[in-house]
Amino acid sequence: MATKVLPLPVLPADWTAPKDFKVVGALSKPVTREIEAVGPHFLAHARRKRYKRTFSEDER
Amino acid sequence: MSADGEPSSRVAIGIAFGNSYSSIAHTTGEGKAEVIANEEGDRQIPSILAYVDGEELQGTQAKAQLVRNPKNTVAYFRDFLGQEFKSIDPSPCHQSAHPIQSGNSIAFSIRDTEAEESNNTSVSEIATRHIRVLAASAADFLGKSINSAVITVPTNFSDAQKEALSKASADAGVEVLQLISEPVAAVLAYDARTGTDPSDKTVVVADIGGTRTDIAVVASRGGIYTILATAHDYEYSGTQLDKVLVEYFAKEFLKKNKSAEDPRNNARSLAKLTLESEAVKKALSLGGSANFSVESLSSGIDFTATINRTRYELLAGKIFAAISRLVLSVVAKAGLDPLDISDVIMSGGSSHTPRLARNMQSTFSSAAVHAPATSTEALNPSELAARGAAIQASLISDFDVEDVRESCHPVVTATAHLSTALGLLCISADEKSHGVFVPLVEAETPVPVRRSKIFPVPGAGGDVIVKLCEGTSEVISKPVEKKTKPETNGDDDDSDDDDDSEEEEEEIKEKKWKHKATIAEAAIRGVKKGAKIEVQLNIGPDLAVTMVAREVGGKGGVRGVVPAS
Ligand SMILES: Nc1ncnc2c1ncn2[C@@H]1O[C@H](COP(=O)(O)OP(=O)(O)OP(=O)(O)O)[C@@H](O)[C@H]1O
Ligand SMILES: [Mg+2]
Repeated sequence: MATKVLPLPVLPADWTAPKDFKVVGALSKPVTREIEAVGPHFLAHARRKRYKRTFSEDER
Repeated sequence: MSADGEPSSRVAIGIAFGNSYSSIAHTTGEGKAEVIANEEGDRQIPSILAYVDGEELQGTQAKAQLVRNPKNTVAYFRDFLGQEFKSIDPSPCHQSAHPIQSGNSIAFSIRDTEAEESNNTSVSEIATRHIRVLAASAADFLGKSINSAVITVPTNFSDAQKEALSKASADAGVEVLQLISEPVAAVLAYDARTGTDPSDKTVVVADIGGTRTDIAVVASRGGIYTILATAHDYEYSGTQLDKVLVEYFAKEFLKKNKSAEDPRNNARSLAKLTLESEAVKKALSLGGSANFSVESLSSGIDFTATINRTRYELLAGKIFAAISRLVLSVVAKAGLDPLDISDVIMSGGSSHTPRLARNMQSTFSSAAVHAPATSTEALNPSELAARGAAIQASLISDFDVEDVRESCHPVVTATAHLSTALGLLCISADEKSHGVFVPLVEAETPVPVRRSKIFPVPGAGGDVIVKLCEGTSEVISKPVEKKTKPETNGDDDDSDDDDDSEEEEEEIKEKKWKHKATIAEAAIRGVKKGAKIEVQLNIGPDLAVTMVAREVGGKGGVRGVVPAS
């Protein structure tokens, strides 16, 4: 099995976008499921959710 | 709440309470989970209570009473907790005290005091007594009394069953901090062992016990667990494997002793036959053959015999095959292909059976099968639930029970999961015109989530494009390429030495990623030759995606947001 990460493509010559970034689509609809209230990573998740913190705020 | 319930005075353990066996576990000072042996030296303690002239016996001692004193021996009762009589299957209790209806719950009529008459003792009271002994064994080992626990339950335990179990435990002086599901406890037991952040996995937990077999497909994403599908079976499990041997040895006995009574027709003989068959079955998990030996099996005749593993596997073949089918059906129920499964965790006592583990390995060719027969690093399948419970107990023992309850509430646990994998389009080595999708965030990942990955750039560097895409996987069949040279490398230590007689097929199946839709594009300009690009995705709770791409060691980079739709 190939574990080597493949390279990114070359930018097409005619590609332009303001600030070099453009949105061209949207994510598929998510599904809502219940996560299990178990394990250290859940506790971190619950803490972020409870205090409405982002990942980097949580790490501080 | 009593002062005992305060986190400061809490001594918590993990309990796995099965219909057949129970285990107790704690975590050591270094945070390692350890299963505790009771006073008899057992780590798998039969979930059985027996009464002899008012004296209570538990575990292995109680199990021995199935021969002498079955009417006052209570076994296989856990699933009856919180149930109505009309909805239970009493058949596991054929050879022990029978469950009876008592009001709208269940009881056993047993002589559990010195007095002559029997008492209707509720299943709840039986469970309380059992947990009390378990807690006493743990206290004996730890040198301090136990006042709380995390207990594992099947994923199909109803609220009424959970409530009844919590109450039974509280009545034994053991406050339930949390009930956690058995398959998730098993996954946690494995994850806690490594100490590193767990990688994304899609895991099948095959919990093959005594009276039931429970299968779960669990998505593990960044160490957060989501159950995708489950199935429960009461027909193919350890007891049925015992029965296969009961039949075999009974017939062998009758062949040699033509005029003796059939040991299956006499309760006491059948009890002896069943106990010894279970012991033989366990021995066959370790050795190539095992001895059966029972004094006065039937008509006063002693019986000894030998069986080898091959014969046993032949006799039990139908049960093994049914378990494989059940596992495959749950994977299909989760909408997955066997190739999507990265790990199979074999849990429950019957998972010691080598053939069951090997069958899983051939069913899930690309997965790591965690069982004693397939991996030298496997944990003891009989210990996983208790270990997971102990780890969870150590994680939450400083919390107020109210806080734990709150974090188990759907307000916290109901979470949006990506339905489709998100990643980048890269250049493939062989198919130049098509890009290849490389996932960063797998489907079934709960949000918020953050992932990053480092990508190389084409030979000369220059300007590159970062294409954020959704991708789906498909399983394709490819004809097998015949290798001209035998492979000499890649022979690692833990590879299975007896590569089963798996027939070589004409085709092999392979999982491939397919680009589905492009979501966003970014340009990174003037990249140095041989440089690397780090791409970080941050998906918020509202599913807005923030992408940051920059040259490793370089300045600036591009940051963009795909707003929530
Ligand atoms: N080494 C072994 N080899 C084969 N079978 C074993 C081994 N050890 C235990 N078993 C079997 O495992 C079964 C018990 O499984 P487990 O300890 O997971 O119990 P449990 O969860 O209480 O079961 P359940 O609730 O399904 O009745 C029994 O049938 C037992 O004979
Ligand atoms: Mg079990």
